[in-house]
Amino acid sequence: MSEETRKLIHDIRNPLNNISINAELGKLVLERKGDIAKAKEIFTTIINACKSCSDELEKLKEHMDDPQDFT
Amino acid sequence: MTQILLVDDDPQFLQATTELLELLGHQVSTASTVEEASRLARTTLFTHVILDVILPDGSGLHVLDSLPENGQNTQVTLVTGHPSVKSIVKNLYGPNIHYLIKPINLEQLESLFNQQADSTRIKQHYGHLVGESAPMQELYQMIERVANTHANVMLIGESGVGKEVVASAIHYASRTEGVFIPANCGAFARDLISSELFGHEKGAFTGATHRKAGVFEQAQGGSLFLDEITEMPIELQPNLLRVLETQQVTRLGGTSSIDINCRVISATNRTEVEIAEQGHLREDLYFRLAVFPIHIPPLRERVEDIPLLVEHFLNTFNRQYQSTIGIDEASLERLMQYDWPGNIRELRHAIHRAYIMADMDKKLLSLPDDLSSPFSKVGSDPHFNGITVGKTVEDVEKELIETTLEHLAGDKKRAAEMLGISLKTLYNRLNSYAESTTE
Repeated sequence: MSEETRKLIHDIRNPLNNISINAELGKLVLERKGDIAKAKEIFTTIINACKSCSDELEKLKEHMDDPQDFT
Repeated sequence: MTQILLVDDDPQFLQATTELLELLGHQVSTASTVEEASRLARTTLFTHVILDVILPDGSGLHVLDSLPENGQNTQVTLVTGHPSVKSIVKNLYGPNIHYLIKPINLEQLESLFNQQADSTRIKQHYGHLVGESAPMQELYQMIERVANTHANVMLIGESGVGKEVVASAIHYASRTEGVFIPANCGAFARDLISSELFGHEKGAFTGATHRKAGVFEQAQGGSLFLDEITEMPIELQPNLLRVLETQQVTRLGGTSSIDINCRVISATNRTEVEIAEQGHLREDLYFRLAVFPIHIPPLRERVEDIPLLVEHFLNTFNRQYQSTIGIDEASLERLMQYDWPGNIRELRHAIHRAYIMADMDKKLLSLPDDLSSPFSKVGSDPHFNGITVGKTVEDVEKELIETTLEHLAGDKKRAAEMLGISLKTLYNRLNSYAESTTE
């Protein structure tokens, strides 16, 4: 795997990580506080993180499609 | 409770994880660069550091260099997307390293703190203090009380009782925004005390090439610990008094004053009577500093804590040297019988030495034949316990007579002269002591 491919994969992990942490936070906020407004805010963060995940995947795909990069 | 330093350059992750950890009942400080994290790590004692390995200004591992020397109890967790990082770092920092692999979930996070509960069974009150004895319970109550106020605290206790540790505990219990800044008044060069305490402007004096913030400014919103306060030259004390009275400090060479807002915790190993009689502190300054005086008990008044402390130090050394050394009952008994004039510092030193000399086959500490340090024999005659509140006049008289006789090798005539009593009175006293012991 090339250095560039590695980096792109790493970049996908960050938004994925934010989705995971925010989902756990959302669960806890609802369970312990029942704070709906806060939960909505957290869901928005999760949706945005999904978008950046998708963007990163697109970058990875473009990169993989480029045959020059297979080393 | 745990005090966590969370370091990551992703603001979204930082915010969500902080909220999550706080909901779980932990206290969290955050940083997004190596520099910021190092600054926090130097001044606050964290129980956990959760660290992203790749940060904008360098490797997150550099933060570990800033952990204080006594921070060996800090559990370090590396956040990584690559499980392979494990093998690289594994042996560098010993067994205190844990890993969180992205994406992180709640189970992973919680497991970090459960591991902690298993590995250190000994409770550290306010993150610092070990001991369950009655004098310590009293101390904890005092800390609890004062933590909720802004009162200045003066810690009074013998050398080696752990005044700085108690100061850190007070800071910890106060849950302030600011940091804990320790300063030793006995260690400052005389000419530089004012600059260290109050700071200076560039060019304030020869050699002042940069503007410098004094310790009062650095402790803004936190706690300033002034150790050995009674060693501060008397002629410089009015300057300190003025800062405490006005709650404002002016840097040397500066024109405008800066508002300060920190708790001052001072410490001395002199007694209040000594301070007053020998004039180590101006009276007005004493009252400003000792709004809430706290006496820290010497180790010999809490002998029952010795096994806990020994175990705590053994845990520390075992982690540090990656071993599993223990102690046998006979050795523990000896440690409990000794009176530790150098207090916890001396105990820690004795354990460390015995650890190095340990029997590696049996994995047991090896104590020297004589526990006492050269410092412990100075100025204390073990036979004469001196005057303390609670003794009767008879007790003191008996001690005085016996010590005098011992000193004069049993010469009763000279002893009577020295004591200023008749030989007959001396005989009467000695007879009554002999009677009371045969009863």
